[in-house]
Amino acid sequence: MMVRRRNLSALAAALLLIVVSAALLFLPVYHFEANVYTKRSGNTFVGDERYQAARAEIDAMVADYTARGIETEVTEEITERVNSKGDTTSLIVFKVNKTVRCSGWDFLKTGFPSSVLLKIMLGLEALGLLLALAGCVGSLDVLWRDLKGFARFLRTSGAALALAAMFLSVIFVLYTNVIINRQISLYAAGVAPSPGERVLAAADALIYQGAGGEDTATLLKSTSSSVIWTWWLQLPVLLGLTLCLTLVRAGRIDKALQRGLLYAFVVVVCVVTLYPFVIMFTSAFRTDAEATDINFQYMFPVNWMWGNLNHILSRGVLRYLLNSLILSTGATTLALLCGIPAAYAMARMRFKGRKLFMGFVIMSQMFSPVVLLVGISRLMMNLNMNDTLPGLIFINAAFNQAFAIWLLRGTFVSISPEMEQAACIDGCNSVSALIRVLLPMAAPGIVTTLIFVFINSWNEYTISTVLINSDVNRPITVGLTQFAAFSMIQWNYLFMSSLLATIPVVILFMLIEKHLVSGLTSGGVKG
Amino acid sequence: MNQILIRHKWEPYLWLLPSILLMGIFVVYPICIVFKLSFSEISRSGVVGEFNGLDNYITAVTAPEFGSVMLNTLIWVVSVVGISTLLGFIVALVLNAEFVGRKIARSIIVFPWATTLVVQASVWKYIINYEYGALNNTLLNLGVLSQSVNWRSTYVVDFIWECGIGIFVTVPFVTFCVLAGLQSIDVSYYEAATVDGADFWMKLRNITIPLVRPSLTVSTVLNIIYVFNSFPIIYTITRGAPAHKTDTLVTYLYMLAFSEQRKGPATALSVVGFVILCLCAGLYMIVTMRKEGDE
Amino acid sequence: MKKILALALALIMALSCAAFASAEGEVTLDVIICEYGNNTRDWFLGSGMNGTNFVDLFQAANPDIKLNLEVVSWSDVHKEVSTRISNGSAPDILNIDTFSEFVADDLLLPVKDYCPDDLFEDFFPAFIQESIIDGTVWAVPDLASARALYYNKAIFDEVGIEVPTTWGELKDACQAIQDFYAGEVYGIGLDLTEDEGQATFAYFAWGNNGGFTDENGEWALNSDKNVEAIEFVMDLIKSGYANPSPSTQTRYELQDLFGAGKLAMVIAPNQLPQYLAEKGFTVDFVTADIPHNEGATGSSVGVMDRVMAFKDDSAPDQAARNDAIGRFLKFFYDPDNYVGWVSMETFLPAVNSAVGALVESDPSFEAWLNVLANCRFYPAANAQWADVRNGVVVDVEQRALTGEEVRPLLDALQTKITGK
Repeated sequence: MMVRRRNLSALAAALLLIVVSAALLFLPVYHFEANVYTKRSGNTFVGDERYQAARAEIDAMVADYTARGIETEVTEEITERVNSKGDTTSLIVFKVNKTVRCSGWDFLKTGFPSSVLLKIMLGLEALGLLLALAGCVGSLDVLWRDLKGFARFLRTSGAALALAAMFLSVIFVLYTNVIINRQISLYAAGVAPSPGERVLAAADALIYQGAGGEDTATLLKSTSSSVIWTWWLQLPVLLGLTLCLTLVRAGRIDKALQRGLLYAFVVVVCVVTLYPFVIMFTSAFRTDAEATDINFQYMFPVNWMWGNLNHILSRGVLRYLLNSLILSTGATTLALLCGIPAAYAMARMRFKGRKLFMGFVIMSQMFSPVVLLVGISRLMMNLNMNDTLPGLIFINAAFNQAFAIWLLRGTFVSISPEMEQAACIDGCNSVSALIRVLLPMAAPGIVTTLIFVFINSWNEYTISTVLINSDVNRPITVGLTQFAAFSMIQWNYLFMSSLLATIPVVILFMLIEKHLVSGLTSGGVKG
Repeated sequence: MNQILIRHKWEPYLWLLPSILLMGIFVVYPICIVFKLSFSEISRSGVVGEFNGLDNYITAVTAPEFGSVMLNTLIWVVSVVGISTLLGFIVALVLNAEFVGRKIARSIIVFPWATTLVVQASVWKYIINYEYGALNNTLLNLGVLSQSVNWRSTYVVDFIWECGIGIFVTVPFVTFCVLAGLQSIDVSYYEAATVDGADFWMKLRNITIPLVRPSLTVSTVLNIIYVFNSFPIIYTITRGAPAHKTDTLVTYLYMLAFSEQRKGPATALSVVGFVILCLCAGLYMIVTMRKEGDE
Repeated sequence: MKKILALALALIMALSCAAFASAEGEVTLDVIICEYGNNTRDWFLGSGMNGTNFVDLFQAANPDIKLNLEVVSWSDVHKEVSTRISNGSAPDILNIDTFSEFVADDLLLPVKDYCPDDLFEDFFPAFIQESIIDGTVWAVPDLASARALYYNKAIFDEVGIEVPTTWGELKDACQAIQDFYAGEVYGIGLDLTEDEGQATFAYFAWGNNGGFTDENGEWALNSDKNVEAIEFVMDLIKSGYANPSPSTQTRYELQDLFGAGKLAMVIAPNQLPQYLAEKGFTVDFVTADIPHNEGATGSSVGVMDRVMAFKDDSAPDQAARNDAIGRFLKFFYDPDNYVGWVSMETFLPAVNSAVGALVESDPSFEAWLNVLANCRFYPAANAQWADVRNGVVVDVEQRALTGEEVRPLLDALQTKITGK
C-alpha cells in the first residue's frame, strides 16, 4: 500500500511539473539587443557640420526602418577629451538599437533553429512520464527489486528521459547563444560563411517580426543575446521531474543521486583531462593563420592539413624521435643494469654501510639535474661528452638510479627469499639465483621501474637543452622548441610534433596501466 | 630471515659497484663542481676566475627579487603538492569504485602523466591566450561566453595558471599511488565496518586513510622533489616575467645562469637549492628510519 | 653477476671513448651562425642557395679549410657560446649581437689580424665605429636592420586621425582609437619582454634626448630624460593604449596582432612587410618615423649584429688560421653570396659592395638605407652592455610594470652598473 501511494503521488507530482515546465515557456526568457547601426564620428562636436550630417543620416535611417515596421531607439554618446595640445576633441557615437524580449513560445512560433531543442525537451518530459506510467501499469505496488524486466526498462527509460530533458534546457541556451553570437554575428561581420537562409529568416522573425527582409544580415550585425533568469526556473522544475521519476523507478533517490554524482565527477575529470589533448590534436591540423585567427575558429580545422605532418618531418622530427628513443632505451637499460644488482644486494644482504648506502640513495633522489646544470655541463665537457647522446644517457640513468633502486628493492623485499635460498643450497650461486629465480618473480616491479625510467628520460628537457646544441643530437623535447622559440611560435607545427612525441608514450601507458598499479603496490608503496 | 648467504665479505660491495660508479661520476661529481664554482668568480662570457669567497652568495641573496622568488617557490611547492594530493586522492577513491567505463576513465587519467611537460605547458599557453586562445574560442563556440576574456590579466593570475597546470600534471601520479594503496586493502575490513553500521565517512577516516597513508607519504615526498625541481611549465609560460615575479628558485637560477649569463650567483643559488633539498631529504630519512626502527 | 658488471663497465668504457677525432694537416674553423629566420639554416646547410648551400660552396672553393658551421637559434646562442668558453672550446668565428664581454675577458682577435684590407675598407665606416673598444676594432658588422613605426592605414582613416609624430600626438591617437573601437583595437604595441624590452627603452629614451649613455659615452641610465621616457611608456600601458601583457608578448606576437588588425601601430624592423606577407596577412600599412617627445629630436633605431673571431692559442699555425678566417670572411661578404644572404631575410647590408645589387632588386631598399644612415645603435662597445640590456628590461621596465616608481629603479640600476 505504501509503495502504491508513493508511486501515485510521485507520478502526480511529475505531471504537475510538466505542466509548470510548459507554462514557463510563456514567460519572457530571452533578451536580444541588436545594434542595428553604429555611426562613429571622430572630431565632431554637437551642432557642427559633421554632427548635422551624421544626425541626418541616422534620422533618415530610423525613419526608413519605422516605415518598414521596425521600431528602433537611438542613443547618442559624446566623448570629449582635451588632447595634448590643449584642444578639445570629441567623438560622437550614434547607435540605433533594437531590444526585444522573447518567450519560449516565440521561439517555437518562429521556428528559430534552437526551438527544436525546446520541442524535444517537452516531448522528452511527456514521453518520460508516459513510459514511467506504462512501467507502473499493473505493477504500481511492486518494489523495484521485484519488478519484471520490461517494466524495469520502462521505468528506467522514464527517469533517463527526464534527465535528458534537463540537459536540453541548458543546451537550448548554449545553442541559441551560438546561433546569435557566433554564427550570425560572424557572418554579418564577414569572417564566417552564412549560417543559411533559414537561420537568418528565423532570427529576423524572432527579433524584427520578419520585417528585416533583404537587410537581415546587416540588421543582425552585432546582436547580443542574453538569457533572462526566468529561464533557469526550468532547471529546478526538471530536476524535480527527474527525481520524481527516479523515485518511481527505484523507490529511493539517495543511491541514484550518489551514482549520478559519481558519473558527473568522472565525466568532468575526463573532459578536463582530455581538453588539452583535443586542442593539441585539432590545432595540429590547422593552418598557421587558422590557429592564430583572432576572430574565430571552428571546433575542427576547416581543412585537415596533413601537409603539416610532412613539414615537420622535413624539419627533422623523425630524427629527434629516434634520438629520444635511443636516449630513453639506453638510459633505461643502464639504470636497470646498475640498479638491479644494487637493489638485490640491498634487499638480500647484510653488510656494513648498508644503511649509509640507503641514505645516499634516498638523498640522491632529492638531487635534481636542474640544480646541478652548471656542474653537469662542465663534467660533460671534461668527459668530452658534451652534445652527445651517450652523455645524456649516462645523466638520465644516473639521476633515475635512486628511484630505480628504491622501487626494485621494494619489489625484491616483498618476494620471499625461500626459493633463492633453496636454489643456493642446490648449488646455484647468487648470480644465477637472481637471474633464474628472483627476476621472473619480480617481473611486474621491474616493468614498472622500466616504464618510470623510460618516461622520465623521454620527457627530460632541461639537461638536454643545455647539453645538446647540434641539430642531429636533439631529443624530441628539445627539437620541439624550434617551433616554439619564445618569440616566434608556429603552433600547428609545434602541436603536430607534440602529437608524434605523445602518442607512443600514451599508448604505452594505457597498455601497462594495470601493471602500473600492481607494480607500485608490490614495489615502492610498500617498501 | 630475509637474506641469502654471502660467500665473501666484499661481495655486497661488488653488487653495489656499478650503481655507485654511475651515481658517483654523474651525480656526486657535478655537485662538487657546483660547490667549487659557487666560490669562484665567473665572467659573463664564461671564463672561470679566482676564488672569491662568499661574493656569489651575497650577490644572489641580496638581489631584490630573491625574497619573492623564495616565496614563490614555497607557494608553488605547497599549493601544487597539497592540492594535487587532495584531488588525486579523491579521483583515486572514485576510480576505485565499480562503474561502467572505469577502465576507460583510468586510461584517460594517465594522459597528462605520459606527456612531456614542455608539451603540456605549450598547449596550455595556447589555450589561455587572450587574442586567439582555444579556451576563449571553445567557450564562445559553446555559447558560454559572449565575449573573449583575458585569462592572463596580471602576473598573479599567470602564476595561478602555472600552479594550476602543475596540479593538472601531478594529479595522475598521486591517483595511481593511492590506487595502488587502495587495491591492497582487504575488502573484509569494509564488510566488517558495514556490519557494524559505519557510514562512508567513518570508513574513510578509520580504514581508508590509515591504510593508504604509506602510499600518500611516498607520493607526497616524490612530488615535493619533482615539483620543487619542475622547470618547463614556468619557463614556457612566463619565463618569470615580469621582473622574476613568477619565478621559482629553479627557473630563476636557470635564467640567471643561461639567459642573463650570471653563472656565479646562479651556482651559489644551486647550492642553496641543494641545501634546501638536503634538509627535506634529512627530514624524510629521519621519518623513514624511525619507521624502520619500529618494524 | 660478474657478467652484468663486465657488461656495464664495457658499456661505460665504450661510450666514453666515443670522442671525436679530428683530421690533421688542415685548418678547421668552428663557426656559429645565429638563426635569423626560417631560411637561415637552409641557406647555410640545406639547399637554400639555388639548390646548394653556403658550406658546400665554401668547401668547394677552399678545400684546405674544414668548415664546421653550426646554426644556433637566438634563444640558445648565448648559452652555447658561454658554455663553450668556460670549457675552453670557444668557436673560431662567431656571429652574435654583443662582443664587449668577450673583449673584457681578452678572448677576441683584433679584426686587423685577419681581415683583408680591401674587405675592411668595404664596411660602412659608421658601422665599424660601433665595434671599437680602446681604439681597436674587435668585430665586423654582419648585417643591420632599422626600426620604424608602422601604422594601419585603414584604422587611421576610419578614426579620422593623423600619424603621430610626437608623444602627445601618439597619446591622442591612441585615445582616439580606444574611444572609437571601445578598446577592441590596441593603440600601440609594446614589447617589454627579455627579447626586446631594451629596444622599447631605446625608442622612447632616444626619442626624449635621453639614452643609455651620455655624450661622453658614460652610462647615464638614471637621467631625468630616461625617467620621463619610462614613465611615459608606463602611462601608455596603464591608460590601456598598449597591448595587455607587454611583459610576455614579444614583438613577433605584436606583429601578428598588427597583421590581424588588432593593433593600430607597431614599431618594427624593415623586415615587417616580408614577415606579414609570408604569414598571409593583407593589412594596409604605412611607415613613419618613431614618435619623439616635444622639443626632442627623433632618431631612428638600428640594430646591428657582428662577426668576430676568437683567439685560439692551441692552433699550431696562427698565420694559417688567421688567413683561413680572412678567406671565410671574404667568401661570406662576396656580393655573389652576401646579397642573397641579406635579401633572403630582408636585412640591410653592412658593406658598400652589396648596395648596388640590392637597390637594383628592390628600390625600397634605398629609403631604408637612408634611414640607416641616421640610425643610432645600442652602445654594445661599452663593457657591461649585456648587464645594462638585461637591467633595463627586467629591473626597470618589468618592475615599473608591477607598479614600482621609475626613478628609484633607474637609480638602482645606475648604481649597480657603475658602482656609484
